Amino acid sequence: MNDEELANNPFLVLELTAEATRAEVERAGQKLLAQLAIGVSSVKSYQTPFGARPRDESKVRMALSALRDPEQRVLHELWLSDLEGDPQVLLGWPSAFASIGWRGPCTG
Amino acid sequence: MERPLYLGIDLGTTNSAACIFDGEQLQSVRTATGETLTPSVVRIDARGNVSVGARAFRFLQKDSDNTRGEFKRLMGSKNRYRFPAANLERSPEELAAEVLVSLQKDVEAQLGMRPRRAVVAVPALFELPQIKATSEAARLAGFERIETIQEPVASALASGWAADESPGAWLVYDLGGGTFDVSLLETQDGLLRIAGHDGDNFLGGRDFDLAVVDWLIARIAESCGVSIMRSEPSHASAIAKLKVAAEEAKIELSRAANETIIVMEALRVGEHEIDLIEQPLTRAELEKISEPLIDRSVRVCERLMRSQGVRQLDRIVLVGGPTMMPALRRRLEQAFGAPFGSGLDPMLLVAQGAALFAATAGLDARAATQSAPPATGPRLWLQYPAMTPDTSPFVVGRALDPTDGVKAVRFSRDDSEWQGEWLTLDGEQSFAGMMALKRRASSTFGVEVKLVDDRVVTANPAKVTLVHGVSIGEPPLARTIGVARADDGVAVYFERGSPLPIRKTFTHRTVENVSPTADYALRVPIVQGDFPFAHLCRLVGVIEIAAASLKSPLPAGSIIELTLEVDRGGALSAKAFLPAQDLVFERVEQLLAPATSPEKMLALVAELEQRAAGLRGKAFREGARRAVSTLADFEATIATVRTDLDAARGGDQDAAEKARRALIECDGVLADVEAANAWPELSARVYEEHTHASHWVAHYGNEQEKRALSHCMDLVERALRSRSTGEIERQLRAMTRIRLAAYFRDPASWSRSLDFAASDIQRATDPVKAQALVHQGRKAELAGNRAELERVVRQLWQLYPVDQEERGLSFNSGVR
Repeated sequence: MNDEELANNPFLVLELTAEATRAEVERAGQKLLAQLAIGVSSVKSYQTPFGARPRDESKVRMALSALRDPEQRVLHELWLSDLEGDPQVLLGWPSAFASIGWRGPCTG
Repeated sequence: MERPLYLGIDLGTTNSAACIFDGEQLQSVRTATGETLTPSVVRIDARGNVSVGARAFRFLQKDSDNTRGEFKRLMGSKNRYRFPAANLERSPEELAAEVLVSLQKDVEAQLGMRPRRAVVAVPALFELPQIKATSEAARLAGFERIETIQEPVASALASGWAADESPGAWLVYDLGGGTFDVSLLETQDGLLRIAGHDGDNFLGGRDFDLAVVDWLIARIAESCGVSIMRSEPSHASAIAKLKVAAEEAKIELSRAANETIIVMEALRVGEHEIDLIEQPLTRAELEKISEPLIDRSVRVCERLMRSQGVRQLDRIVLVGGPTMMPALRRRLEQAFGAPFGSGLDPMLLVAQGAALFAATAGLDARAATQSAPPATGPRLWLQYPAMTPDTSPFVVGRALDPTDGVKAVRFSRDDSEWQGEWLTLDGEQSFAGMMALKRRASSTFGVEVKLVDDRVVTANPAKVTLVHGVSIGEPPLARTIGVARADDGVAVYFERGSPLPIRKTFTHRTVENVSPTADYALRVPIVQGDFPFAHLCRLVGVIEIAAASLKSPLPAGSIIELTLEVDRGGALSAKAFLPAQDLVFERVEQLLAPATSPEKMLALVAELEQRAAGLRGKAFREGARRAVSTLADFEATIATVRTDLDAARGGDQDAAEKARRALIECDGVLADVEAANAWPELSARVYEEHTHASHWVAHYGNEQEKRALSHCMDLVERALRSRSTGEIERQLRAMTRIRLAAYFRDPASWSRSLDFAASDIQRATDPVKAQALVHQGRKAELAGNRAELERVVRQLWQLYPVDQEERGLSFNSGVR
């Protein structure tokens, strides 16, 4: 698993934590797709521990479909928790949460 | 009409139906005589008048030459239908368009507006040309825009809409006129997910009728001494009459009766004229005739459940007319012990689901001009899900004209129960706000804007409507799709299960010199299947780069960028770009074979049977029970192919087309058995790959790679237990990726690759250049420049030729 694949982690793409419920996943994906459709520039990229990455509709759809499948989701949760737990990968990670505007389960 | 209306159409092999969804209610479209079903039958009389549906259906027996049904099966093929009385010819698409027009008129009579946009359901196993043909039929019928949805997805949506929100595993059992589809669904929180699907392209209600026809032919031979032959053109009208009688008897026995009497008068069989036939048929007899066909469908269901690891079903949803048969219902109950979804009409479910999908896709049936309100107020561009399982979805938008001076936007539900906050526009004139929807209903919101002078005015659009209901994740891709490489490898573009629509571009290189003057075309074969070798996959399309269209000679190793795309309806399109010559090729050669003669197909049948005999012997010797049962299915299919080919020789084009497709399917079934025979080889490959991967990952892998590998291994073990070859191949690919990631972390890896290439240098197409590159590589190696070394080795790889034998196996692919 290289950095690029980790940076494509669907939780990162959708800006969700591993605890997000299925409904929250749908809502976050739907909102991002709508924003991308009307061309909101702030959603055209997202933050990862490896720096900012571009985001487009197909990436959001892939992320949605990955998290809809329980089997795939488990795997992505695992990698996400690895990202959070591995100090080598996560230079300056603890503060990163706040700095990239991560929130908990999306409540609006 | 303020609220949007959504139209769904089930363009069936035997019957068609349409349904309207207004956000809350599903309403069936009725014909002038009050029926919900329109027979997919078209008649053209001597004066060229076209009649459709029930009116045409009555002539199916009386005027079979000028009355056509079951044309859906021939959509996308080159066949044309003759109407001798009017001396006209029509393509299957044109006939389908007539049915669509008839449905359109019924909608207009019922709702007072002519629908311009709709969702049309297509069988899950429809291939690219057939989906295109469906769109073409809709275009001919005057539709502005249509989307297609797979029939099982549509029935799943409709049954999800009708059900309470209990989670669980559902089986959608769809036995249509000509095809059998089965899907396994998982439901949770109003969101449906198709866990998997399977089917039999050649099992349908029609086969039940034909089984009865064969039985009738045998009885007639016994009682009247007249043998009716399907291969005899002059018997065609008698066969058609028997078919109708069989269908009627089947329906009658489904309803109530324990016995029915098939009565036919004045049956003309070539020179013979049979005055009267009165043949009793009991329900028990019918069940005996149907049993093998029902069992075949149950085996498909069991195969699907096994592959998904599902033991217990919570519900079975029945779709299609033939599922009315009591014997079939009994057999399913006994096999799966799950209740049938209640209150669902198996005949209308597909049309209902298509209408619901139109809502999900926001495809309002009215034309843009019909639905646009008079334009007043500041214009907003709004994006929102027309139908969603979420009661608190977002509406996102932006003000289109900055000079309108919009400061904020507010949404108010029209039942006055809910009003949102003022949503302030950001620097880009955009905003996002969460709505509150009524459960399982349609909610309309008034849209107001606050201007810079604090005036509050109605926006344009003034209202938006959102529906809370079921939704289905984007339909997943049914099979892995990729490009065959010249070395018999496959460049995988989309893995099975990827969400649709999807689009990817990869860079390839050509493997040979092509001169513009040559009479030649470079082939880019597109294949589907879960095998690592191109020749095991199924060819679904070819992009041909004709030498004549090149601007200058194209040397081997030229860059070619391929883009493959699959839309929501499953239609595949492809594009090849040659950057050096700035040329784009988009034509994907259609794969529907030109009409193959029945004789040729018969030869193919003999060949397939011989192959099957070999496999059967082996399966028996080794006690491979699964292979034996798969081969029994093969037997059944090949038997129907023989009957169809008989009918084809009697002039039945539909039977010829059905036989052609069945043969492709049979070939696939044998390939599966052959693949299963390669089982020991496959498990050896798993063992070998696991050993390699563990070695490299243990030495150079990071934590993620270690975990990913162990997860892969778990999945492989499960796939090994369920004997799912496709899944094993997928996981092997994943393991290889993980291994390579770790392998190339080893500082010595590129040096090894260089050594390997150098040892084989005499094979290079340009040995001088190769020698120079090896030299360059050695220098980089000494200097410890890994990036340069990697670059050199990659260049070197391009100089090795492709094995011609391998290339032959991979559909003569011209790229790698």
